[in-house]
Amino acid sequence: MINSRSTVAALVFLPLLFFTAFFLVPLTVVATASFTNGDGVPTLANYARILLDTYHWSVIATTFRLGIVTTLICILIGYPLAWYLVRIVKFRSWRRLCVILLILPLFTSNIVRSFGWMVLLGRNGLVNETLQMAGLTERPLRLLGTETGILIGLVYILLPFVVLTIGNALAKIDHSLEQASADLGASPAATFWRVTFPLTAPGIAAGAIIVFALAVSAYVTPALLSGGRVTVLAVLVFQQYSSVFDFHYGGALAVTLLVFTMAIIGISSLVSRLGAR
Amino acid sequence: MILRNLICIVALFGMTFLVLPLAVLVGASLTTSEFLAFPPQGLTLKWYAVIFSNPTYVASFLTSTWLAASATLIAILLAVPAALAVSRYDFPGKGAFSAFLLSPLVLPHLVLGAALLQFGGSIGLTRNFWALLVGHVVIVTPFVLRTVLPLLSREQQAMEEASRDLGADGVTTFFLVTLPQIRSGLVAGAIFAFITSFINVELSIFNTTAELNTIPVQLFNYVQYSVDPSIAAVSSATIVAAAVAIILIDLTVGLDFLTTNDD
Repeated sequence: MINSRSTVAALVFLPLLFFTAFFLVPLTVVATASFTNGDGVPTLANYARILLDTYHWSVIATTFRLGIVTTLICILIGYPLAWYLVRIVKFRSWRRLCVILLILPLFTSNIVRSFGWMVLLGRNGLVNETLQMAGLTERPLRLLGTETGILIGLVYILLPFVVLTIGNALAKIDHSLEQASADLGASPAATFWRVTFPLTAPGIAAGAIIVFALAVSAYVTPALLSGGRVTVLAVLVFQQYSSVFDFHYGGALAVTLLVFTMAIIGISSLVSRLGAR
Repeated sequence: MILRNLICIVALFGMTFLVLPLAVLVGASLTTSEFLAFPPQGLTLKWYAVIFSNPTYVASFLTSTWLAASATLIAILLAVPAALAVSRYDFPGKGAFSAFLLSPLVLPHLVLGAALLQFGGSIGLTRNFWALLVGHVVIVTPFVLRTVLPLLSREQQAMEEASRDLGADGVTTFFLVTLPQIRSGLVAGAIFAFITSFINVELSIFNTTAELNTIPVQLFNYVQYSVDPSIAAVSSATIVAAAVAIILIDLTVGLDFLTTNDD
């Protein structure tokens, strides 16, 4: 094509301009601010304040502990649920209803979903009442304002992603592979671990990466379910930008969150790629 | 067989877990009591009357709708040309270009919100509708790009070339040949974009004010200080709206992506 260069330029010009102005430049501003002090002098003091301090490390540890445990629980519940929806459900209309109910939370704000758990997990909420009626506990458990409460909220919000990615992988498996394995004398367990599971591994990895990235950067759920008692990195970032207005220290916190998240996503996609070989 | 039963139990537990918080809010919104109660005490729709006669809620609802619709429209105008460039032409930095436009998908929205607040402060773009809009466009554009890109295939390129050979100009070809083929991806991407914008808190929270607020941010502010049945009614109204949207998608685009080929 003769005019392909000008066509490309015309097509990419506006998207590139918009994303540079409102995405790249703002992020650069944050990164720059994180490496300077109030007078614009370059410094590493903002990072030193975070990385040389045990309080910040405990916040980082809480954030990543919540991220990792959320991811594991989502896979442990999500895999059987996806299996049930793809392999066990016989009736189309029931599966359809289940898929609608699975997607419904994704179409609802984090606020609404976390608010539902605030109602359920309170001292006199349904969860405590049920536990007491069943005789599992004498006094109401404190769930709101604990890591357990945040964990329940995060698993709830992120479970649909895992079910969808694993379910998609399961639905795409060619049944003849599993039949061949059975015909060649493999037990159902061996067929699962040697054929089915490896074929769904990319789905698990994709779901795990989404869940982890969203769990460590979540703000709304920890803010509502922690009642101010448990602090995660995103809450610290928000405090600096909304009430303390220290953009230098806040910027360093934001960059820290970004770098840790990207590093873990990078490592896990590398591992899953190596594992796939 | 034991294993199969175990899977069914976990699955039903999972489904209950997914439905419970939403069901509780819809239930609690119907209570006649002045405080939040589940199971509801008596049945009434009075809390819906309360919210629909509250000008603050109505204003936030309109802001959210208007914001989501504008962001989706601009996202389409940015993503479709970008998708055409990536799928139809070879140019230096193509991979980096599409990665750049898709990267808001994995970037924490809170970080982007903070960045836009700080950057907007230097050019006077804070705490107004435009400040909200540019951020929302950045986070929703990748959804449209991601659903449109796979539909711009090689076979379709041949159709476009045929259209041009038969004398149609570029614009006519786009509207008569290209657009009808990417329509389904465009619809799906636009729905995801609209919803993502409509339910966003982490990005909007930096640029909203008492006068200019979106529904989720307003709920967030209320929920932290007072909890009464009217908040459950707002929540349950958004749940019902989401359910209607999903059923519409199911009827038009179809949601049977968990169905295997052989049944």
